[in-house]
Amino acid sequence: MNLLLQGLALGVLTGGLYALLASGLSLYFGVMRVVMVAHPAFLFLAAYLTYTVHTTLGLDPFLALPLTVPLFFALGVAVQRLLIARLAPENMAMMSVLLTFGIALTIEGLLGTFYTGSYKSVSMEYATRSLTIGGVHLPYDKIIAFWVAAITLLVLFAVLIKSRFGQSLRATIQHREAARLVGIQTERVAGYGFGVGLATAAVGGTVLALITPFFPASHWVWIGKLMAIIVVGGLGSVVGAALAAVLLGVVEGLVLVTVDATWATIMFYVFLFLTLLARPQGFFGGRLAHRF
Amino acid sequence: MSELPESGAVLSLEDVEAGYGRAALVLRGLSVTVRAGEVVCLVGPNGAGKSTALKVASGLLAPRSGRVLLAGQDVTGLSPQRLLGLGLSHVLQGHSVFREMTVAENVRLGGFTVRDQAKLNERVEVVKELFPVVADRWGSMAGLLSGGQQKQVEFARALMLEPKVVLLDEPSMGLDPRNTQVVFDQIDLMRRTGVAVLLVEQNARRALEMADVGCVLDLGRVHISGPARELAADPRLGRLYLGGAPAN
Repeated sequence: MNLLLQGLALGVLTGGLYALLASGLSLYFGVMRVVMVAHPAFLFLAAYLTYTVHTTLGLDPFLALPLTVPLFFALGVAVQRLLIARLAPENMAMMSVLLTFGIALTIEGLLGTFYTGSYKSVSMEYATRSLTIGGVHLPYDKIIAFWVAAITLLVLFAVLIKSRFGQSLRATIQHREAARLVGIQTERVAGYGFGVGLATAAVGGTVLALITPFFPASHWVWIGKLMAIIVVGGLGSVVGAALAAVLLGVVEGLVLVTVDATWATIMFYVFLFLTLLARPQGFFGGRLAHRF
Repeated sequence: MSELPESGAVLSLEDVEAGYGRAALVLRGLSVTVRAGEVVCLVGPNGAGKSTALKVASGLLAPRSGRVLLAGQDVTGLSPQRLLGLGLSHVLQGHSVFREMTVAENVRLGGFTVRDQAKLNERVEVVKELFPVVADRWGSMAGLLSGGQQKQVEFARALMLEPKVVLLDEPSMGLDPRNTQVVFDQIDLMRRTGVAVLLVEQNARRALEMADVGCVLDLGRVHISGPARELAADPRLGRLYLGGAPAN
């Protein structure tokens, strides 16, 4: 019983982080039907920048965020305006896979050149301890990751729901042509949407740097998991992805403590195939799919 | 918006040629004029270029040649946002509400370019009065409304900025007879309030009964035009729809 509770607690904490990591992917697909294979590569680019700030300046990794978040936002706008926007709309999904695959390889190559292929990690004393509640051990790094993800997602939802930009982004996602006809500059909004997506990668990368060692090719491990999450959640739905992330995080946590790590990872693909067979639009891809 | 030219033309398409990408031209020298308080109806077989004409007029598609004039001002190639500010609204074919937003959000988005909240609130009250369904379903999610109700939300959104001309693309498409009647009544209401309407309809006879001027399009240009009721009785209209040779 205690083991199950341990798995459940870890699953919820990890699922929260997955929700943050997948939110950017949902935005890209929602805004422009772009399958952004390079999102995890940007996550680890942020992790490496965090590592650099931490090791050269001796700062807490989270103090890298004022640098990486605006930088990644600008990078996202540039990627969308200079590269993605030039793809033919009729082949957007397929061509975006090829283009962003190339971007991922480029980032991986650059990271290998500058940081070598060896593992790096950011270790903070406060992140190595754990909190014990009723026999369930909750590592502080996972707790921090969960709360950073939760706060970031709350800010993201608040922006999407309350702000003028969020309203224009949602309108662009839901009906691009109608959005143009009410005076929304959809190309600019799509660029900013990409910027927001990559800004979430900056936060996610910092958290990843804190909880896991990484090397330049680490991103390949994550792309499958994150893609599974957004398909299960319903492509283009940030809320759907968040719910699917927590669900899959819990399943992973429970399988991890009751079976083994291999099966825990396989569960993502089991859910992916089951979703594609039973409900291709995703389990939260009905009414929720276009809400955010 | 500037004063209307002497002709009273609010919107004119002059000798417009347009198409999509590198494909062949869809519009081949189309010329249409809409005057204030007038409903001009474009009818014609599928592929004649009716919807393309509206897209050129609203800036969604840039013409390859020809001119678009709005109240006498050359607006060829301007963005939809600029044209909206100059008094042109476009209601798209099919359903174009923002499905996962409330009716209130949809209607208010019609005034997206207006920063003055007081003016916006004033306009909201006006369109709520014009479209009672919109007022009744104000807090509902737009995607949950019936087809006819969604069309009224789109009309309300299009009227938020008091346009001088409204482009309507197949507004009765997919609606039952009762809702079709409601849609045509509201087009008539727009006309009575001085709005010029450029209407595209598959339901040709019905549309020509209520329009002032009719234009029959085929292969991207106007083949027959004239007073709408006379056109409705013109045997050449039937021939075009039945696939006969275009009349000269």
